[in-house]
Amino acid sequence: MRWARSGRVIIGGLLLLVVLICAIAAPWLAPHDPNEQDLLSILLPPAWMSGGEATFPLGTDSLGRCALSRLLFGARTALMVAICAAAGAGAIGFALAHVAGYLGGRADWLIGRAIEVWMSFPPVVLSLILMVGLGTGTDKVILAIVLVDWTRFCRVLRAEVRTVSRKDYVSAARLIGASHWQVLTGEVMPATLPLVITLVSLEMGIAVVVEAILSFVGLGVGANQPAWGQMIADARQNVAAAPIGLLLPMAAIFLCVAGFNVLGDGLRRSLDVRQTELRGA
Amino acid sequence: MIRRLIVSVPILALVSFLLFAALRVLPIDVAAMSLPPTATLVEVEAKRHDLGLDRPIPAQFLIWLDGVRHGAFGQSVAMRRDAGSLLAQGLPTTIELALCAMAVATMLGLGGGLLLFAVRGTWLEGLGDLISTLLMSVPDFMWALLLLLVFGVLVPVLPFVGRLDPGLVRPGGTGFLLLDAMLAGRMDVLWSALRHMALPALALGMGFAPPIARVLRSSLLDVYHDDYMRQARLRGLGETRLLLRHALPNAVLPTLALMGVQFGFLFGGTLLVEVIYGYPGIGNLMVDAVRNADLPVIQAVGMSYCAVVIGISLATDALHHLLDPRGRP
Repeated sequence: MRWARSGRVIIGGLLLLVVLICAIAAPWLAPHDPNEQDLLSILLPPAWMSGGEATFPLGTDSLGRCALSRLLFGARTALMVAICAAAGAGAIGFALAHVAGYLGGRADWLIGRAIEVWMSFPPVVLSLILMVGLGTGTDKVILAIVLVDWTRFCRVLRAEVRTVSRKDYVSAARLIGASHWQVLTGEVMPATLPLVITLVSLEMGIAVVVEAILSFVGLGVGANQPAWGQMIADARQNVAAAPIGLLLPMAAIFLCVAGFNVLGDGLRRSLDVRQTELRGA
Repeated sequence: MIRRLIVSVPILALVSFLLFAALRVLPIDVAAMSLPPTATLVEVEAKRHDLGLDRPIPAQFLIWLDGVRHGAFGQSVAMRRDAGSLLAQGLPTTIELALCAMAVATMLGLGGGLLLFAVRGTWLEGLGDLISTLLMSVPDFMWALLLLLVFGVLVPVLPFVGRLDPGLVRPGGTGFLLLDAMLAGRMDVLWSALRHMALPALALGMGFAPPIARVLRSSLLDVYHDDYMRQARLRGLGETRLLLRHALPNAVLPTLALMGVQFGFLFGGTLLVEVIYGYPGIGNLMVDAVRNADLPVIQAVGMSYCAVVIGISLATDALHHLLDPRGRP
């Protein structure tokens, strides 16, 4: 359990734990319904600043909705998208990478070309185009991210699978009569798993950002679902009057993404045997 | 290299066909959208026939491709103009912004990489590591918002909406504003355009510099283990000369390979940054088209994003080929 002692893993994990608690406990922590509008108190500053009200600890947006409540419920949306999208994209990328890297030949060629075609689209552009077809909604956002980001896994993992498959111990397993399936699950996958875990962690951070981007341009989760991207879009309109409204959701996104990145970085360093050998640790 | 160039043509063709087919199977009726709501079903059918929408998708694609050859990308449903002319207006703007942003990202990335390398082995190394990890967690669009907040609102020193001050007339010509302003000798326009470009370009640069810095640092570390570096040091060369003349040219190669991928992402990143700063490039065009389900514009803009990304990857490959003597026959 070397990874549990890594400082990065602990810091990243703690950051994410805070976000997770906020997300799970949002209905109890939030002082208001996140969609409740109070048009008499719009664009209020946080309670500790002059003009703030104690009922709205972090102030309100342009429709008088409670910023704290929206932040807390936005964490739900963000984490939901992060977990589902990373799992989906990871599963597809993982499967295709193992097919391509282990079998080689035509399967590898086909999957390699598919990645090339996919990667010639900037991810943001591709996900926007997908949202035209899919329409808005949390499930649609997840599907769009899965369809765009499987290549991130597949590209990196394919090379790793290819390297591992050529190792002597894999040939040895074949020689003593193991089937392809047994070799893949018993010999190859355990070797690629550390990389997969790292990639999933990084992908969750990317998914949080993509969800925020799509919600920012109004093509993300539905209008009634609080999301950090929507808060940014709203605050961007009133940036001169209430700059703090922009900082809050940005800070939330940063903490969440930094949590995933630091965790991913820590896992990469401690799970990858070659790296630790190189560093002599 | 030539092979790569030849391969990129079918890829672009395949991408454009996939995009075309995907947009055609959507339940969005371009014919009905381009007619007034009072149109009868017969009129809609006639319009569908006019637009060729009743033919099989491959046939439609060939018709579209033939139009593209003449610069006609299809009529925009929302703006009643050819998507090609909208593209001709927006694309130079976006390319100009992306090029400036790449310059910023390269300078910050190389500078940051050298800095990270310089503090290796000291207590600052861990700090540098931490800061670069944290900076990597700030995506380009967050930089855009943050810079807008700091330099646009809190300390209002730079403009953050549009491409020019109101009242200034942009000189005609190539469509690349900085170039046009210089050619026309309009220093006021040039200055205003640069000031408007500063925040978006810096935001994109900040978003893409940290990975460049990190890769440069690690390839410098690799290069310093090579025998020829020990040789050079034994010959008594100074550390600065070692770094700049012997290590950096070799260490830049892996960095360059990464930059090709990064600049592809950066070009995609212009989309959000343009929306945030109200910058009139193809990013805003795309978002408006997506909101209006304006399929011809989505097709044209989507295609041009792909073409530029493929072009960037080709260009970095070519540069890599030029700089790396090992790949030459």
